[in-house]
Amino acid sequence: MFRQHRVIMTAMLLSTALAAQDQPKMRRPGGGAGMDYRDYDAATIERGKSAFVANCGFCHGANARGGESGPDLVRSAVVIDDENGNLIMPIVHGGRQTQGMPKVDVSEKQLADIVAFLHEGVRAAAERGTYKVLNIVTGNAKAGEAYFIGAGKCATCHSVTGDLKGIGAKYDPVALQGRIVMPVGGRPGRRNSSPIEVTVTLSAGKVVTGTLERIDDFTVALTDAAGEFRSFARHGETPKVVLKDPVQAHFDMLPKYTDADIHNLTAYLVTLK
Amino acid sequence: MKKLLLLLVPVMVSAQVGPKAAALSSAVTTGGENLILDPAQLLKPATDSWPTYNGDYSGKRFSSLQQINQLNVKQMTLAWIYRAQAGPGFNTIVGGTGPDAPPVAGRENSFGGLQIKATPLMLNGILYFASPDNAWAVDARSGKELWHYFWRTTGGIHIGNRGVGIYGNWLFFETPDDYLVSLDARTGKERWHVQIADVKQEYFSTPAPVIIGNHVMVGTGGDTLDVPGFLEARDPETGNLQWKWWTEPLKKGDPGSETWPNEASMRHGGGMTWMPGTYDPTLKLYYIGTGNPQPVETGHGREGDNLWTCSIVALNIDTGRIVWYYQVSPHDTHDWDATQTPILIDGTFNGKPRKMLAQASRNGYYFLLDRTNGEHLVTEKFIETMNWSNGVNAKGQPIPNPAKESTIDGVLVSPNSTGASNWPAPSFDPETGLFYVDSNETFSEFYLTDTDPQPEGYAAAERNAGGMGNTLRALDYRSGRTVWKHKYPGGGGSAGILTTAGHLLFTGDGSQNFIAFDPANGKILWHAGLAGNVANGPETYSLDGQQYIVVGAGDSLYAFTLAQ
Repeated sequence: MFRQHRVIMTAMLLSTALAAQDQPKMRRPGGGAGMDYRDYDAATIERGKSAFVANCGFCHGANARGGESGPDLVRSAVVIDDENGNLIMPIVHGGRQTQGMPKVDVSEKQLADIVAFLHEGVRAAAERGTYKVLNIVTGNAKAGEAYFIGAGKCATCHSVTGDLKGIGAKYDPVALQGRIVMPVGGRPGRRNSSPIEVTVTLSAGKVVTGTLERIDDFTVALTDAAGEFRSFARHGETPKVVLKDPVQAHFDMLPKYTDADIHNLTAYLVTLK
Repeated sequence: MKKLLLLLVPVMVSAQVGPKAAALSSAVTTGGENLILDPAQLLKPATDSWPTYNGDYSGKRFSSLQQINQLNVKQMTLAWIYRAQAGPGFNTIVGGTGPDAPPVAGRENSFGGLQIKATPLMLNGILYFASPDNAWAVDARSGKELWHYFWRTTGGIHIGNRGVGIYGNWLFFETPDDYLVSLDARTGKERWHVQIADVKQEYFSTPAPVIIGNHVMVGTGGDTLDVPGFLEARDPETGNLQWKWWTEPLKKGDPGSETWPNEASMRHGGGMTWMPGTYDPTLKLYYIGTGNPQPVETGHGREGDNLWTCSIVALNIDTGRIVWYYQVSPHDTHDWDATQTPILIDGTFNGKPRKMLAQASRNGYYFLLDRTNGEHLVTEKFIETMNWSNGVNAKGQPIPNPAKESTIDGVLVSPNSTGASNWPAPSFDPETGLFYVDSNETFSEFYLTDTDPQPEGYAAAERNAGGMGNTLRALDYRSGRTVWKHKYPGGGGSAGILTTAGHLLFTGDGSQNFIAFDPANGKILWHAGLAGNVANGPETYSLDGQQYIVVGAGDSLYAFTLAQ
């Protein structure tokens, strides 16, 4: 019952099409958040951090995410709702004796810097489109090389002295690893590289081949060798349509890779400078 | 110390205030005579109308209408198109508290242009629906606009709106900046609005309010700043709070608190309520699936199962008290909200009649439960690529593989965070006994970006990997096994599903086609190319003896009927 259908179409970038409550755009403005966050300059934030650590860090932790006796301020409704210190300043200068928070003696200027530091903490958590991927090169390059020529079958199509020469200099490690698991960008027919070849066998036995432009259950469209756009109506299996995707092997590997395979491959490709 | 801890957490009682504007001065209930919708009508399955988000309380999205059927579906033709214009226009009624120039960020997250994700209600020949900041009434026979209301926003993610609820003559919808707005459905004029959450804490609200008796069910969303989820019942006359159920325990010692390391984690634990639920009028239980825990894509700082996130819960409709729960993703770390419609099925299981509830969950598992008490009946994978669990425990719950939680160097996980299924409506056809769901066989790399012992927000970055495509599936409800499936050659979209007694299944692909399938075997019987992908759940109704099928695609509603 669970016959695994062969994947005839590869670049199903559905997650970008599926506008669910899940994947806001990965860039500013917005950065994935629903509010407009203010940008503070780096020097202000840095001063604010120093002042915070010196005056507040003992209770609230050096990064304001809570400490021995003080709560997390990045998640604090007071900080989130604060505008230019209007809610934070009275608390810092007046204290909250009943909750065990003393007055803190900091200058207006220092406090403004602290406010900037706290708001930057909120923004940095909220705008996930600005999250930075860290150092991902943790794999074993030797093992990656062995996988490349062995079980990974990468060498079937690729050569480190040919198409992949200098690939480690061309892409950063995150992009490199990304190209292993997602070798193309864009949708079928609109990819910058590796177009899908399509063969349409018409009822009279006439065969038309070209580069796939689009396909669904009802039409298939291609650009033929002469550069002409052509489309054909589809009625079930008629006409017969065969797609050949040069990067199909990458997709076939997805259920087979271990994470170590991927990390090792990345570590190996990074060395190909 | 405890008090200090409480001091700066998001204000949990802020919503328990009265409406900003007073209710109508007269004390009449539901808006007088000639009611558009007597709530008692909702207790019987609808036939000619579409009175609530899912058509009826069961969530089946199955219609008994059969004028349009397998024999004549090929004669189905376009009746009208209504193109919605969001924003203030010439005749628009304007409300809201925001500035003329709205905040940019939330609109950046609106995915480019208006997408009608709402399922319009159809009552007495009029369609009522909403989009972020907008609500409309449209003539269901002609597609002509009757009124348009626009809400000036203060912000919030403008990703979608599932629609409106109607009680008597009063219409209700939620806004991205977390207001419940009530309009007079006859005129579109605002009656009142009440704030339900703080948009600055990145709550944003998308559900269609479901009306049950005199309760307006109000939920919310927001995954960005580690805030707790809740579900509210509000008074349709005044907007006043009747009860509020938090999706996490509030303090140590409360039931469920043993599944969190400390109070701070549970009070920032997520569990959003961004989809309408289903309801059993006999049991008086409201069923809703809750969202993922927070921080979203790491489990650091929230060790434990994290109740009642990623759970199907049954709440007493009059008190809001939890009667039973079943957690479909204990300790989720991949953003797999369990908010997919929990469909109510009356049928047999192991030869005995049972009242059941089924969900094809975002994590890739299908669940069948006894809805009287939450007893587990079935767990079954419904996508083949899923790779994140170590099987299921004695209660049928998936056991997350800790090796598939975000790492700095990345882990390859299927499905991706969009999930094996998402909010687009599934359907259950009692005549075929099949549960229909749009499924996604996807992969993503999950990279841990926040290595602090107390991570915040999403705490990880996701990069899409390839996948095996998108498939419409028919599952045997008793086993969860796939009976037939149809893979979309050009990829799938985010279309909901409608089944009818005309032996038809309506949905859309990712190539702007609206398609009728044979629900018994997946054979395509009819299609129409639209100007956008189907963005909502198709619906059907009958007026003057004429059956219509209405679907939202992009910024337009399309109505189809049989050629006369």
